[in-house]
Amino acid sequence: MPVHSAGPRLYHSVKFRHLVKHTGSAAENRASNVSMNLVPFVDMMTILVTFLLMVFSATGQLLQAQKGLELPIADSRDTLQLAPVIIVTKSEITYQGQLVATTESVLRDDSPTFKIDALYERLDAAAKKIKEEVGLGKLPKDLAKACEDAKQNIRPQPGKICPDGLAILQADESTDVRLINKIVNTSKAAGFDNLLFAVKNK
Amino acid sequence: MGAAVGTEEGGKRSVNCELNIVPFIDVMSCLAAFLLITAVWVNIAQINIQPKGKNRDITQVQQDDEHVTLSVLVQADRIWVGLSRVNEFQEIPKKGEEQDWEKFETTLKEHKASAFFADRTDIEVAGESTSQSPVTYQDVIHAMDVAVKVGFIDVGLTDPAGLAARPQM
Repeated sequence: MPVHSAGPRLYHSVKFRHLVKHTGSAAENRASNVSMNLVPFVDMMTILVTFLLMVFSATGQLLQAQKGLELPIADSRDTLQLAPVIIVTKSEITYQGQLVATTESVLRDDSPTFKIDALYERLDAAAKKIKEEVGLGKLPKDLAKACEDAKQNIRPQPGKICPDGLAILQADESTDVRLINKIVNTSKAAGFDNLLFAVKNK
Repeated sequence: MGAAVGTEEGGKRSVNCELNIVPFIDVMSCLAAFLLITAVWVNIAQINIQPKGKNRDITQVQQDDEHVTLSVLVQADRIWVGLSRVNEFQEIPKKGEEQDWEKFETTLKEHKASAFFADRTDIEVAGESTSQSPVTYQDVIHAMDVAVKVGFIDVGLTDPAGLAARPQM
């Protein structure tokens, strides 16, 4: 394709002769090249790009959207970090996307152990695997440091918590607290003694 | 739009030049489209808690017995704020349809300013729910959120039986 010097293209590259014929400009032998004013367009694009760059999140999406799940609202602005996710919707409990139990069956269960057995099995296996990875040092530097700090009881930065014993609970705002208590107990029994409750900012 | 430089003096030829902004617009359009697609519109945060409860953790019992613990019990129609060992309880009844969060916050602030908790950040929260009077997760989250806001950033969640200070009704 030939390279043209900068300037209006209408009537040369873009054939609008048939339009010009019906306008007065052609009849009066006036130039019919039209230069569109792009200043407002560029201004708008600049503002839009600036805004989008400001709200851009490089951390990606840690949580999956679930049908029938409305997160509780809170003022807390601490950032989430990657960890195994327990999801509690109005009807079911899932772990890492796999169905574990229905909320109804868990609420009906009055066992004295106060645990959800199916969830415990999965969490226990996951906790052992994570502990092994942490022990072998298969962690990024910042998280390895967080694990060292945790041993010395140094408070971690939000988003930089040692993954050993860390899990995310993503539960619907209308969930019965009895269910949450059971999940927290089960998590603790399986070795997840640090839970992040996912919340939506106001 | 463009950069125009003009020197029309002395009848010399015009040196007006126009900057080609088409590539700029192309880049901006691509960037805007990419950012719009990848934008995350829902801001998700977290509240960090440690599961607690003296009925399940023996070491915790010994620790709890040594100092006063601030306990919060959320019920369907009221919130209790209690101090272990001292056995002092404050009842915050529901205000209309919602819990009285303002009074709850004021109460926690008073405790935070007291000698017991001035240099401490731990608190334990529990929700007591029954099928007749259910307590929702949102209420417990709100209670924990208020506690964090006041300065009790080490929030422990327990079941009602595990509270260090539990009101006797």
